[in-house]
Amino acid sequence: MRRLGRAALLLVLSATTCAVADVGDFTPAELSRIAAHGPWPLSWTPDPGNRVSGNAAAIRLGRDLFFEPRLSANRRVACASCHDPAKGFQDGRITARGLVTGTRNTPGLLNVRQQRWFGWDGGHDNLWSASLRPILDAKEMGGSAARAARVLRSRTALDCHYRQAFGKPPAAGDPELLVNIAKAIAAWQETLISPPSPFDEFRDALTRGDTRAAAAYPAAAQRGLRLFLGRGQCATCHAGPLFTNGEFGDIGIPFFIQPEGVDPGRQGGIKRLLANFYNLLGAHNDDATRNNATATRHLRPEHRNFGEFKVPSLRNLTLTAPYMHNGSLATLREVARHYSELDEDRLHADGERILKPLKLSPQEVDDLVAFLESLSPSKALPAPHAPPTVDACHAP
Amino acid sequence: MKPHNRIAAEYTRLTRALRLASVFAALSGALLALPTAAADEPRMPIFDAHVHYSHDAWERTPPKVAIAILRKAGLKRAMVSSSSDEGTQKLYAEAPDLVVPSLRPYRKRGEIATWVRDESVIPHLEDRLKKYRYAAIGEFHVYGADADLPVVRRTVQLAKQYKLWLHLHGDSEAIERVLVQDPEARILWAHSGFDRPEAVRAMLKKHHTLYADLAYRNDHATNGKIDPAWREAFMEFPDRFLVGTDTFTPERWYYIAEHADWSRGWLADLPPDIAARIAWRNGETLFASMMATRQ
Repeated sequence: MRRLGRAALLLVLSATTCAVADVGDFTPAELSRIAAHGPWPLSWTPDPGNRVSGNAAAIRLGRDLFFEPRLSANRRVACASCHDPAKGFQDGRITARGLVTGTRNTPGLLNVRQQRWFGWDGGHDNLWSASLRPILDAKEMGGSAARAARVLRSRTALDCHYRQAFGKPPAAGDPELLVNIAKAIAAWQETLISPPSPFDEFRDALTRGDTRAAAAYPAAAQRGLRLFLGRGQCATCHAGPLFTNGEFGDIGIPFFIQPEGVDPGRQGGIKRLLANFYNLLGAHNDDATRNNATATRHLRPEHRNFGEFKVPSLRNLTLTAPYMHNGSLATLREVARHYSELDEDRLHADGERILKPLKLSPQEVDDLVAFLESLSPSKALPAPHAPPTVDACHAP
Repeated sequence: MKPHNRIAAEYTRLTRALRLASVFAALSGALLALPTAAADEPRMPIFDAHVHYSHDAWERTPPKVAIAILRKAGLKRAMVSSSSDEGTQKLYAEAPDLVVPSLRPYRKRGEIATWVRDESVIPHLEDRLKKYRYAAIGEFHVYGADADLPVVRRTVQLAKQYKLWLHLHGDSEAIERVLVQDPEARILWAHSGFDRPEAVRAMLKKHHTLYADLAYRNDHATNGKIDPAWREAFMEFPDRFLVGTDTFTPERWYYIAEHADWSRGWLADLPPDIAARIAWRNGETLFASMMATRQ
């Protein structure tokens, strides 16, 4: 059935190509590849590793805790301090600033439910574990179980939603407390889904054969899309509706960190993940089948992982500058130029063979940027950052 | 017991102790609390056959710092090449006991793909060979029929003239072509050609002057256990393999120690004498002794 469906889609797309000259002369192969970047948004399923995934009380609790600075050691740093909703849940800084300034660029959180690995180094295999780390990290929030329990008990709504979600009161001595908090924050983050972008509208229009609607997509973005799919081979890594394969790569970005040393990237991330008490192989994974831990079970660090960083989603880029794991590229134009002038000697001769300097003309740089910009929503994001709730809550 | 056997045996005892300690630590939830006595045991020496120290490396990690990294990693020696050769010379001057110099045909980064057709490479090699001492020419990249291009042919001749090794990064066809030019050419095959262990064995069987480094490959060992096909290769040709990090970017200097430890881990899965040969004795026999005769 799936094959038949694809064939039918290709037929529609091919017919569209013939009929529409002003939406670019995309080949059937290109149209098929365009179609593979949708539909958007993806269907949502609960996280089997998080028993409160999709739970309304947990989502409410998670949202309130996300904006709660009292979880931090100085009572001034919340998750939202770095993950600003107005900036695609990023902070606009080169590197994150919690209690101290870090060494990596803050990743945005939109569509985070769709990810497999979390963090630039993939040091986490689940969203709740990734949410717990900054709360406890002395450089980020410096929190603790005792502090978290105090915060939960300090406000009726927090206390009540915690009881609703987890069926018991928040107690500092409960070894589950921090994990539960993290799972609630994860449950809320799972709801952060970006609206469709101009590209999605174009892709959907092509798919249904609506040439008039497709023609609204700017010509520069169409040319950039062709580069993206063709000569750039960008879609090899930036694949699918999320525009990422969810894995890691070395694209020649230096990874020294000041004052001395390096950020080992994925190589360190794998080691960190496998040593993490809160990974999916551990007791806190709520998926009794452990099917969600298969990828983690087979992880092995390899030499190539040293200096690899996560292939980021390309959605919502206009909201999340600067770019790269260390925030070293300020604009999308700089990103395009990086790939244009790629230093091949920074890549292993038998490693990232797909990467070659694209040698883009100024026009091509503009086109690629126009395409990348078209992956951000045309409409304003909904405002999830309302003040902490004081809704009535009836604990069990 | 010979000294190298004693070291290998000590190393085996150490790794066994470490494994037991690791199991105990994991069971007790104290992963980082390895016994200090075990940590103080001598480490298996490593001859790292694949180190680069190009201009961006020496700018960021000056020779004294670089040498400290090598010593801290427990390297007995490192075969070093760089683009330009200046980096190698800086490092050799800093620690002649530790560095085995190799001459790259590259004067700067960016010549990997172009050097085989660049006639100006020849006087570069000739000049450096007259001026400095080396154990090898390389690492250089050449594939297929390019190995018969005049610049490569002259490089092979120079290696013969100066009795040097060729550190060749390329496919088996390039190896074959070089060995037609000089059947006695001694070649260290970088990365074992990224070829399958069966193919590497076939090449080693066919060419007695061919040796292979294992740089930037993981397929021969997982979690300290050696792949069966690779084990056969190591057991059949214990004198023909070497380990190497491949510091192709300056950041990778900070991976040398990690790589040495990783190598010690999988080498412990071999009989101690064979482990010692691949870890360091082969390098010492083939390259370090060469440098000693050129003092």
